[in-house]
Amino acid sequence: MSDPRPWTWAAVFGGLWGALEMTAGTALKLARIPLSGALMAALALVILVTLRRLQPTAGVCLLAGAAAVFLKVLALGGVFPGPLVAMGVEAVMVEGVFLVVGSRAVAAALAGALVLVWGLLQMVGMVWLVAGLRVLASWGEALGGLAGRVGTGGISPGVLLSLVAGLHAAAGAAAGLGAWRMAGRVGRRLRGASR
Amino acid sequence: MKRILAVPLLLAALAALFLPGSWGPGTAFLLALAGAALADPGVIRGTLRAGLVLGAVFAAALTAGVAAAWSSWGMGTSLGVELLLRILTVALVTGTVARSVDGERLAALAGRAGLGRLGQVLGLALNTLPHLLDTLDQVWGSLRLRSGGRLRALVRAPRLAEVVLAHAGRLADEAAGAAALRGLAVRRSAPAGLARGLPVVVVTGPGGGGKTTAVEEAVELIRRGAGVSVAGFVQPGMWGKDGREAFRVRDLVTGDEAILARRVERGRGEHGTRFVFSGEGFALAARALARVQPGAVLVADELGPVELRGGGHMPALREALGRPGLRGAVFSVRRHLVPALLAALDAADATVVTVDGAAAPAREIARRFCGGGSSL
Repeated sequence: MSDPRPWTWAAVFGGLWGALEMTAGTALKLARIPLSGALMAALALVILVTLRRLQPTAGVCLLAGAAAVFLKVLALGGVFPGPLVAMGVEAVMVEGVFLVVGSRAVAAALAGALVLVWGLLQMVGMVWLVAGLRVLASWGEALGGLAGRVGTGGISPGVLLSLVAGLHAAAGAAAGLGAWRMAGRVGRRLRGASR
Repeated sequence: MKRILAVPLLLAALAALFLPGSWGPGTAFLLALAGAALADPGVIRGTLRAGLVLGAVFAAALTAGVAAAWSSWGMGTSLGVELLLRILTVALVTGTVARSVDGERLAALAGRAGLGRLGQVLGLALNTLPHLLDTLDQVWGSLRLRSGGRLRALVRAPRLAEVVLAHAGRLADEAAGAAALRGLAVRRSAPAGLARGLPVVVVTGPGGGGKTTAVEEAVELIRRGAGVSVAGFVQPGMWGKDGREAFRVRDLVTGDEAILARRVERGRGEHGTRFVFSGEGFALAARALARVQPGAVLVADELGPVELRGGGHMPALREALGRPGLRGAVFSVRRHLVPALLAALDAADATVVTVDGAAAPAREIARRFCGGGSSL
């Protein structure tokens, strides 16, 4: 049987992701709302998980990611690596997890955790690229000194980063599970009780 | 040529940022400056604007001050200069890439790389974008009005997401139907055996929306209006308080009926459905399809995922469709299965009639098989 649905779904859901980046993404960025990157990652997760649950064909998330990146490039008027890398990696991660784990709720939770932790890691990576190790070490030293003065000197920057990453992972897993359940409801809306 | 030379310079600039020692950022900045000048000199003026440079100087001064307080003035100055050069390097590299590569170039690159399907996906995504933006705007606007404010609307955002995602799904199904009709489907196995140019009507609509009723009325109109013989089967549902409880199958020529499927508890159904099927029902449908003669219109009602996977009625249907001289065929199917059915049939000449969208769906179906002189 031949079925064009996987790629048309990928295109339309990629278009939806691109549209959300253009509207909600731009609004959040302009309003300088904290954690707007994580919020947009969660929205992307909902779209990708819904797509992968309703069209369980290998590669659909990659196609949707390519479409969303393409629209983002058009919207921004050029290739700005930061957001484009984030979107591309999100699509690759969701696709990869679903390929390995299978189309199950646990895959959605795992993909959600990875996507949100990646957002944090990318931010740390960008800071590392821009500031460099020497500057980061200097800031760490200064923060450590400050922490010592207020009595929380025992918490190292590594532990703090791990804590924040753990929080991101937990929030991502919850978002992934929520997205999986929402995908089920969307499927029921579309199908009804067909035989 | 200059742009091609700029690429290794910009890559080397990024690599130099990771070099150990204090001279790395200086080298990186010079390489980025040279790369940007080669690619497009306007980038340097456009990127290194007063706002960005002032922001970078402020961050560098802050870092220098903090480092000087915890270490020494020499260390503070060195770190401040390093940070300034790093920020300017990253800004120059990203600014040059942003101004040199655009979406059309990326799409053309995908086409040249033989990624034809990717090109179609990007094209469809671009085409649906205005519609999706309108939809987001309308759904958000109505949710905000009904909720009495933005904050309350945000609380109900998951409901909004569900509506938008379902809408996107329907849009994708419609696009898939159009793609299947234009022959853009990916072929994986032989089609159902439809003769080239055979007129096909696909009747669709929601479950319980009147597809079978429309098909039965159309059968009468075709028989009476055009004197054309019709053979095949319809599958009326048997409804209970929890929806459809069973399907019957009825031979359109003899009127014989049999139970085809009964709903059972979730997880106990056959073929991945909530129904168990009866061999007697399939046998009756196969006999009904065997009655299709040359010059007749073939009718197969309520085809489902089982048939689209090649099971159920499909073997008998393939055989009937392979007979020469058919006048046409009518199939009814749930809306989300239309693209898959069109692709499975390799139908190049199909009319899709939606029962909940047409004023007189039976007449629309029959019109396809009745000449211009008929009274329809």
